[in-house]
Amino acid sequence: MKEEKVQRLAAEQLFQDEIEALIEAETGPVPTGWKMSPRSVLTYICGGKAGDMEISPKYIGNRRLVEIAIATLVTDRALLLIGEPGTAKSWLSEHLTAAINGDSTKVIQGTAGTTEEQLRYSWNYAMLIANGPSRKAMIPSPVYRAMESGTIARVEEISRCACEVQDALISILSEKRISVPELGLEVPARKGFSIIATANTRDRGVNDMSSALKRRFNIVVLPAPENLAEEMEIVKTRIAQLSDSLDLNAALPQDSVVEQVCTIFRELRNGMTLDGKQKLKGTSGVLSTAEAISLLSNSMALAGSFGDGVITDRDLAAALQGAVVKEQGKDEKVWEEYLENIMKKRGSQWLGLYRECRELN
Amino acid sequence: MDKKDEAKHVQIFGIRHHSPAGAYYVRDFLDRLDPQIVLIEGPSDFTELIPSLTDSRVVPPVAVMAYTERLPVRTIIYPFAVYSPEYQALLWARDHGRPVRFIDLPSSVFLALEGKNEKNQEEECREARSFIYHQLDLLSGQGGNETFWEYTMEHCRNEEAYKKGAAVFGRCLRELTLSLEGPETILREAYMRTQIGKALEEGILPEKTAVICGAFHGEGLSHGDEMGEEDMEKLPWMESRKTLMPYSYYRLSERSGYGAGNRAPAYYELIWEGMNRRDFFWAGRKYLAKIAGFQRSHGNPVSTAQVIDAFRLAVSLAQMKGYEIPALCDLRDGSRTCMGEGKLSDIALAVADGEMGTAIGSLPKGVSQTSVQSDFYSQLSQLKLEKYRSAVGAELALDLRERLNVKSREAAFLDLNRSFFLHRLAILGNVFPRQQPVKQENATWAERWILQWTPEAEMQLAETVLKGDTIAQAAAFCLKEQADRAGNIGELSGLIKAACFCGLSESVVSVTRALQAMATDTVSVRDIASAAGSLSVVIQYGDIRRLDRQPFIPLLQQMFLRGCLNFPQECACDDQGAASMAQAMDRFHQTVVSHDFLDRDRWIGVLKEISGRDDLNTRLSGLASAILLEMGAMDQEELGRQVERRLSKGIPAQLGAGWFQGLSMKNHYALIARLSLWEKLSQYLDSLDEEEFKRALVFLRRAFADFTSEEKNRIGENLGEIWQVNPVQVSLKVNQQLGKTEEELIKGLEEFDFDDF
Repeated sequence: MKEEKVQRLAAEQLFQDEIEALIEAETGPVPTGWKMSPRSVLTYICGGKAGDMEISPKYIGNRRLVEIAIATLVTDRALLLIGEPGTAKSWLSEHLTAAINGDSTKVIQGTAGTTEEQLRYSWNYAMLIANGPSRKAMIPSPVYRAMESGTIARVEEISRCACEVQDALISILSEKRISVPELGLEVPARKGFSIIATANTRDRGVNDMSSALKRRFNIVVLPAPENLAEEMEIVKTRIAQLSDSLDLNAALPQDSVVEQVCTIFRELRNGMTLDGKQKLKGTSGVLSTAEAISLLSNSMALAGSFGDGVITDRDLAAALQGAVVKEQGKDEKVWEEYLENIMKKRGSQWLGLYRECRELN
Repeated sequence: MDKKDEAKHVQIFGIRHHSPAGAYYVRDFLDRLDPQIVLIEGPSDFTELIPSLTDSRVVPPVAVMAYTERLPVRTIIYPFAVYSPEYQALLWARDHGRPVRFIDLPSSVFLALEGKNEKNQEEECREARSFIYHQLDLLSGQGGNETFWEYTMEHCRNEEAYKKGAAVFGRCLRELTLSLEGPETILREAYMRTQIGKALEEGILPEKTAVICGAFHGEGLSHGDEMGEEDMEKLPWMESRKTLMPYSYYRLSERSGYGAGNRAPAYYELIWEGMNRRDFFWAGRKYLAKIAGFQRSHGNPVSTAQVIDAFRLAVSLAQMKGYEIPALCDLRDGSRTCMGEGKLSDIALAVADGEMGTAIGSLPKGVSQTSVQSDFYSQLSQLKLEKYRSAVGAELALDLRERLNVKSREAAFLDLNRSFFLHRLAILGNVFPRQQPVKQENATWAERWILQWTPEAEMQLAETVLKGDTIAQAAAFCLKEQADRAGNIGELSGLIKAACFCGLSESVVSVTRALQAMATDTVSVRDIASAAGSLSVVIQYGDIRRLDRQPFIPLLQQMFLRGCLNFPQECACDDQGAASMAQAMDRFHQTVVSHDFLDRDRWIGVLKEISGRDDLNTRLSGLASAILLEMGAMDQEELGRQVERRLSKGIPAQLGAGWFQGLSMKNHYALIARLSLWEKLSQYLDSLDEEEFKRALVFLRRAFADFTSEEKNRIGENLGEIWQVNPVQVSLKVNQQLGKTEEELIKGLEEFDFDDF
């Protein structure tokens, strides 16, 4: 499948081998509608072994949270992943569905323009007008299809949808059926149906969720990586996967580079130095792990296309400048303070990066 | 059968301390075995407390505390919860009328061993153990080794499974750490073997001997030698006493770790209840329902559906690990996910309530308590304070005045006696009462307290027995100790007050003696005046606290004499010292006039000396004159002479004016009423030349600053009479706003050069 030259493969395609190996090595009971046992799903997400095959960890962080998420889906409850931007909510939801159903593509991408029809079903109006309402003229939504097939649908960024659209999910989740009055149809959800929604807590343009809807979800809050080592691990794993699929033609960044980026991000995110000794100002945007990943892959692209394939301090400085300074004026000062107060005093390892950043800012 | 073989047939039930399942199955075990004697791991001298411990009115958690009699106090505490296997074994023996004994080393030996152990070995052993527990932590992930215990031990479906599990764990732990164990463990096990042997010697069949001990000791008790007589005698010994005390789940959860306690006692109690219902899921459901109930009662709506979902989630979390019954960490995560919107912080209080709980045990009156404890409880009921003995702090407002509308004397002074009681506890450093400031100032009859009961308070109470047999005695002892340590008169004065608040007249006297002794050494009249002052307050207002005042009177008389003898010479001081001396004089005077038993004539004599002498600070002389005037001990003529002498042209203006200032520090009316005084003052001012007048003016202005405008009016009237002008005009003039020229003049005065004084 990889030869298809798709920009981004779905999780179940990317990790097809691992999924197959896990199904092969299955020993535990498999819930109805699932491809593997909950424990295998956990192995798929958090890493481990399936027979002889090494399973790479997809989510690095609190294992217990993943356990809760999977256990939630076993009980046919809907799952809501909440967290700051870039805490791997969508990532986790995609991989969960990939492992459980072998299909992560039943997705609704929530926006302010999402309508109720997109959650339930809509019509092919040409056919509707020509032939009247019929099963053929109806376009079932991913949720509709998931119900029919007893699988899991994903609703991304649910908090970006308007409240009344969000609330369309309430009855779907409590009654587990969709009625199509036009066709006199009642579609009951088959066993195995569920929904994984993701929501941002801290961003612009998000709506509050009603407590009625929240109560229909089991809520798991995904935290930012707990420590530097964990964050570095996440970044390194993802960069390796990305550079593979994007053909970046650059060497993977050295550990020291990853460490520098993660350190800067963590310090600015938490508003204090890693050792906790100095307070510093935070930036206006959230500097997430996901952003660190894209920053590094950008640098790799720069180095691969215009340099000698190795990320230089100059590439990194440019990327950092762009990532940190999102609001002119305010963030520039924060960045400058950080450079002068913290980075400058870090010693020789940081000197090169400091100089380049200094020049750019 | 040989003795060693016999020992092998003793029926040992290894347990995990504070284990609900253990508590349940130990009863099964005993029912099945129907032993003739029950032997339990625990200090053997605690055996005598068993009848009290198993009294049906005892509500666990309770603890046995052993403490050394001498300072520094060492203590060991053995807590029992209702779900402690040891406690249930005790109850079983009581219900079936079987003898029951503790068989571990006596507490006196434990206390003596404490601190004697070689540090290195102990640490090594602790390290080895903590390594094992750490491995268990890793194995069980969330919740650490407590989760492991819960899955593997607390959810055992039958006695056999529990027994086996405990035995396996005990054996493995033994293999791993026994070589590192200190001599204490070896001693203990040998001693326990001896105790078991003793029971067997009494003719009890080994098959009918039940031993309840920690899983670790299981093997140690059935194999090995008994302790020889000689070794027995070599055991270190430290005189100790024991007491029962109520305990709390809060304390139990603090002492987490194997054996000592557990993190979620309230939850464990639920497991115990569930076991008794033979329903292994009961505890989980009840726990979640409790959390939901707590959330609802605190204004956070939680639906029953959410509770059901939380339970289902917990079950499926346990199933993912291969267990059937959810453990606490599963339940907690279930409630976090379904009731707390994924955040533990939202349900943290409810979780704390559900896991830790606020339960406090209680002991019936008279159940093996120290004399101080029984004194405390009898007073608590006498003073009707029992309802304040709760974990939730409650406010108590006291009105110390006699209540006139009640029949008995006790009722009339109930609040007063309460105040004594609480003050005594406070002086003992007990955390039960905390005094709050009273809102109304100077309300000597009002007091506010916050009363909150904690096991610490009980422990402190039990420790108080080192100081005396009753609370009053202990408080008196405490006061005496503090008085002996006190370094200055101020501290002692504070102690007098404290003693007075405690209603301990003997202590007041003894502290006062200490104060008087110190007063002889310190010649400063200021100290004497302040000490006499606080004593005077005690005598004056001791009434409200029903204090016997007789013993203070001679003391105060002595101090009075010392004061009188020393006052005049100490009045020779500079202006800076004069301020505090003036205060002391005034205070001393107040003391003198408040009490008839003090020789007033002597004081007048002293004041006359001060007012008459020219070599003392003139302000103090003036004050003495003012006091004399107030007392009516100085006639017009004498005052006239004084004024003439003090305010004459030859005397430097600052001295004269200083004298007048002192004179005007007391009763202004007494001055105003004396026309001759003002005549003299007027004459004096007339006699001054301009430079002298300016100087005098500076001081006089200061003296008059304290007069009110009403008083100034009357002075104006006086002056008007003297100068033969209309009093109204004078008064107008005196109280008039200052004009421009006058302001300038005053400015000039402010720049007045004081250097030449």
